[in-house]
Amino acid sequence: MIQVGGHGQENPNVHWLGSRGMWFTYLVVMFALHLFLLSIPFLTIPLAWTFTNVIHNTCHFIFLHMLKGAPWEIQDQGAARVLTHWEQIDYGIQYTRTRKFLTIVPIVLFFLASFYTRHDAGHFVPNFVTLMFVLIPKLPQFHRVRLFGINKY
Amino acid sequence: MLNAVLAFIYQNLIEAPSYHLYLEAFLALWLFWLIRQRKKAEKKKRLTQEEEQLIINAWQPKPLVDEEVTNMESYDNGGIWGPITGRPGKTVEIDGEKYLNVATHNYLGLLDSQELDDAAEQCIRRYGVGSCGPRGFYGTVDVHIELEEKIARFLNLEETALYSYGFAAVASAIPSYAKAGDIIFADEQVSYPIQRGLAASRSSIIYFKHNSWENLQEELEKQRETDKKNAKKAKTIRRFCVVEGIYTKSGTMCPLKEVTDLCKQYKVRLFVDESISFGVLGRTGRGLTEHLDVDRKDIDFISGSLEHSCASFGGFIVGPSYVVDHQRISGLGYCFSASLPPLLAGSGIKALEIIEQSPEIIQDVQDKCVYMHQTFMNKLTFFRVTSHELSPLKFLSLVGSKVLAYDVIKDLIEQVIIHVKEHHKIALVQPYYLESEHELPLPSIRVSINRLLTYKEIDSIAAAIEDVSNSINLYDSVISNIPTQFEETKADMIKSYEAYLKWKQQNNGITGKEALEQDEVFEPLEIAEDSAPKKIADLHSRN
Repeated sequence: MIQVGGHGQENPNVHWLGSRGMWFTYLVVMFALHLFLLSIPFLTIPLAWTFTNVIHNTCHFIFLHMLKGAPWEIQDQGAARVLTHWEQIDYGIQYTRTRKFLTIVPIVLFFLASFYTRHDAGHFVPNFVTLMFVLIPKLPQFHRVRLFGINKY
Repeated sequence: MLNAVLAFIYQNLIEAPSYHLYLEAFLALWLFWLIRQRKKAEKKKRLTQEEEQLIINAWQPKPLVDEEVTNMESYDNGGIWGPITGRPGKTVEIDGEKYLNVATHNYLGLLDSQELDDAAEQCIRRYGVGSCGPRGFYGTVDVHIELEEKIARFLNLEETALYSYGFAAVASAIPSYAKAGDIIFADEQVSYPIQRGLAASRSSIIYFKHNSWENLQEELEKQRETDKKNAKKAKTIRRFCVVEGIYTKSGTMCPLKEVTDLCKQYKVRLFVDESISFGVLGRTGRGLTEHLDVDRKDIDFISGSLEHSCASFGGFIVGPSYVVDHQRISGLGYCFSASLPPLLAGSGIKALEIIEQSPEIIQDVQDKCVYMHQTFMNKLTFFRVTSHELSPLKFLSLVGSKVLAYDVIKDLIEQVIIHVKEHHKIALVQPYYLESEHELPLPSIRVSINRLLTYKEIDSIAAAIEDVSNSINLYDSVISNIPTQFEETKADMIKSYEAYLKWKQQNNGITGKEALEQDEVFEPLEIAEDSAPKKIADLHSRN
């Protein structure tokens, strides 16, 4: 149960992704998505992996790097209004466990997708492009940076 | 089995294009590097011993109690007055001596009313003394809800949020709506609670000139221009405007009609603080909105206090439900503070009932406000009334305030207050301001009206101030304290005062008002046009 102000956290976005059992849940949901895609008859295994990767990265990008603020009425007087979820995690401290986990997952997923698509160039392009979309905003150098003023306000 | 898997992987790698392998190798290396990274916060460099010593030596400990606060306490208690015994009603007992009280806020004189005492007593018998919790946590008692409904009905609005302290009401209501990135337009003379609220909101604050709706329009127009240049940013900004009905710091009246129109025109949300004007202005005491005939639906919320005319305690925010309801979860003073003691809510209800049932007391207090204004205008030679004639707070500013040093004015006014206290048994007060105020007003005497004062007593207050000013040679002190760079002003003041004395000799016994009007230098403080006296003769004949 996520509560504003519970346990001294003014903004639940700071910590909920690093809370107990979250990593496991994350992987289980991803695996369920993959199983679902595999169960669709006309999707081949390479296609299912590419879809898993692309869907995962798209959600990852939208929820961590695009949407700003928090869905709760948090008592920080609007400090988080200009920050994406990724920037709010652990109050912006870099290289924390949660951040490492969220960086490793898309990369490992990319390895798997590359492997199961037999390094096919057609699959490589969407896999690699979406990977860049979720990796570049994660770099510490891009903290609070809005490239070309996109999504600035 | 294992061999087959390894063969599959090997086959895969052989067939893979080389760019892919390089990329994967790079990503794998980067992953390895990333995992080995330590948290940034942990990577603090240790200081050398000399560096540590440098920082320790540079550290200046601050006093445990802020100096500003200690000064204030010594000013309030040690300076002039001793401890108060009993209630500060129309008269106040200090150190066993009774004084006529025009220092505390009790405009309708309800503090001396037996009915309020009875209501409070009934509540104590029923609920005990405290409410023992915040409103959302077992602290709500039926009298709170009754009082909230009563205030809302009284002002013909939808909902009220009751706070346990007038200061906290507006100070937590503003930051519950305005957040970082928003813009608040505020009058430069807003009271300290509002300033605290503005600071807590973390919005950008744009102050406009006191009571100047023209200046407000300029600022709004400027903002509109900036918004046009960056429409994307403008979309994310909320805009607010904060004014007071009657200003706590100056007793002037807000041109609410114009402000409301501007806010509508420029789509700005409007908050009005009616702490002083609630229960005093308007035909039936419904405040400035009634007095100026402004539709209350155009105001997003009105904040008020039961501490000024209602002789109780607590503050309230009243407005449409969708605005006020938001505070029940995000008004910090509402959520995290024990609710108003039921006995005070009970006496607040009674006070509202009295105001509702007998509008003649509102008329009475307004008459006395105007009378006091005229009396001060006519009888005081060395003080100017700078407040509005209907304001229950009268601010008396010393002549030459513009050229005198702040501390000098403060000392001179203190002298007057001490002498009035000793020789005339009247309790006057000099409003205390913190140095951190946005616009620090010049020192002045603040006289607050009380409906129970007779016209004779009002005369006697004016006479006492005038008498003391003459007996302590206030004028000479003012002249001798004018700094050298204002020689010209000094000479002009002396000249006009001599002219005034001559005129006084010729017209023995008549007040000095006209003489003062002869020369602008002798009225160094600008007074608002609408505060000029109207029917002086009329008012004097009433006595």
